[in-house]
Amino acid sequence: MTKIMIDPITRLEGHGKIAIFLDQEGEVANAYLQIPELRGFEKFCEGRPAEDMPQIMQRICGVCPEAHHLASTKALDNLFRVEPTAAARKIRELLYSAFFVTDHTTHFYILAGPDFIMGPESPAAERNILGVIGKLGVELGKKVIQTRQQNHWVIQTIGGRGIHPVFGLPGGVSKAVSEEDRAKIEEIAAQAVDFGRMTLKIFEDLVLKNKEYLDMVLSDAYTHRTYYMGLVDENNRVNFYDGKVRIVDPKGKEFAKYAPREYLEHLTERVEPWT
Amino acid sequence: MGKLKVALYWASSCGGCDIATLAIGDKILDLAAAAEIVFWPVAMDLKYKDVEQMAEQSIDACLFNGAIRHTEDEHVAKMLRAKSKTMIAYGSCAYEGCIPGLANLFSMESVLERVYIDTPSTDNQARGYPQAKVKVPEGDLELPRLHGTVRALHQIVDVDYFVPGCPPEPKTTWLALEALLTGTLPEKGSVISHSHKALCEECPLPKEGKKVKKFYRPHQIIPDAKKCLLDQGLLCYGIATRGGCGAMCPQAAMPCTGCYGPVGGVIDQGVHFLSALGSLIDSTDPEEIKRIADEIADPAGTFYRYSLPVSLLRRARTE
Repeated sequence: MTKIMIDPITRLEGHGKIAIFLDQEGEVANAYLQIPELRGFEKFCEGRPAEDMPQIMQRICGVCPEAHHLASTKALDNLFRVEPTAAARKIRELLYSAFFVTDHTTHFYILAGPDFIMGPESPAAERNILGVIGKLGVELGKKVIQTRQQNHWVIQTIGGRGIHPVFGLPGGVSKAVSEEDRAKIEEIAAQAVDFGRMTLKIFEDLVLKNKEYLDMVLSDAYTHRTYYMGLVDENNRVNFYDGKVRIVDPKGKEFAKYAPREYLEHLTERVEPWT
Repeated sequence: MGKLKVALYWASSCGGCDIATLAIGDKILDLAAAAEIVFWPVAMDLKYKDVEQMAEQSIDACLFNGAIRHTEDEHVAKMLRAKSKTMIAYGSCAYEGCIPGLANLFSMESVLERVYIDTPSTDNQARGYPQAKVKVPEGDLELPRLHGTVRALHQIVDVDYFVPGCPPEPKTTWLALEALLTGTLPEKGSVISHSHKALCEECPLPKEGKKVKKFYRPHQIIPDAKKCLLDQGLLCYGIATRGGCGAMCPQAAMPCTGCYGPVGGVIDQGVHFLSALGSLIDSTDPEEIKRIADEIADPAGTFYRYSLPVSLLRRARTE
């Protein structure tokens, strides 16, 4: 069999490589996604103070540290059996909303998005943020940069730092939001909504309105039939901060729904020798 | 003169340093105008084989983030060192081992056992671990071998400059990049930061230099956010940490945890903090001093949160 290695995989957070095996006819016989990485958070957290977990665990991923920071902070709420105050909860959700903007901007313009924006036939050397700026213009590039900068400012103002925030404590947050900052954040949020609309329009114009492209995206080769898992509120609407974990099957039918602390009843990790 | 050729790489890291590079804002356009990025896994589709084909010394500068955890980290570090004129350890992992370096408090075997067998969510009754070489029905697969000890970049290859921070703040990143782009890099071996003095010097919270009778953990008190946290008994690491970040954590009423590394001229950040703490305790009674010092919940993980692999200890004895 012929083996094709894609090493490393690029434009996403984390390390990985893909081994693709081809049979004699040149068809894919099997493919393996290998993660050549282990830092051992599961072990080196042992002995560390519980309240340090939000700051230690977020080092799992510096692209989405806010998610890990808040997950650990909520675990501390559970551990200390305290409910955050209403204001603290809103402040945490506000930080997460700003993170949502930066993260989706990262995803759409820097990581996965260039494949869509530059198109399936574009050379590898152009499928990146610089290619995107080249195609859509420097003004768009500046808007992307500005949106990321403004929302990192929001994260820093609320969370202490722009990358790897520090504000999470059991039952609350370390710092209040001043009225002056609140007003500025409101302004930034409105601009972020405009930016989101503009981004959706780009996607619509470049992908959804391009029949050839759309046919390819919707073709069998690009359709992944799988289960999906996400956090939802009491009306099964997506919620990024709190709620229940809902799993749906490939047809969209609910398969399971559980409170995060019940995860051991629903999730199991297994070990493969090749990753 | 053509554009500078720059490579960016992540070894055992979180990706925060890559995001920190993007966080320089508009200046990313200046960087793009002055430099050609020849390798950057988080942002560009270039592979190891592309780097292998580059000539020795053909890359002007490599910003290398991440600790050296396994044979692939080591291999890529050596390859990029050979291809690069200037090697920059960018961020705390490459500079001093950082959070991944906390694994040096344990044996590699116990890390593997915990991760792959013992966590409550793992079902691995066969007790097998990932292997460096595996035969699958279709052929052979390989993984890097883990080293027993996590190391910083300069413990593997020659490093020209160090940029501190977990991750470096945008102004620190730009200080390094601007020096690179304008050919004004300092003396080889320099740590690049706006300050080499203790963080306390730039922290705006007024410090009275109080002695303390009790150390508090961050969740145990609501500190006065306008006053020095250390004066209030919170273990703020600013007295033993290089400045240059802007002291944002103390200003968010959370203690500095030391991510900018030791102040200039200090070899072991933990020893420096420990000796500074000794003079803070408000007692001369050995029993009371012991009681107060015992309130520090996790001395190893607190004093060496970011710097264990480059400390005098380097790792715990685990035999």
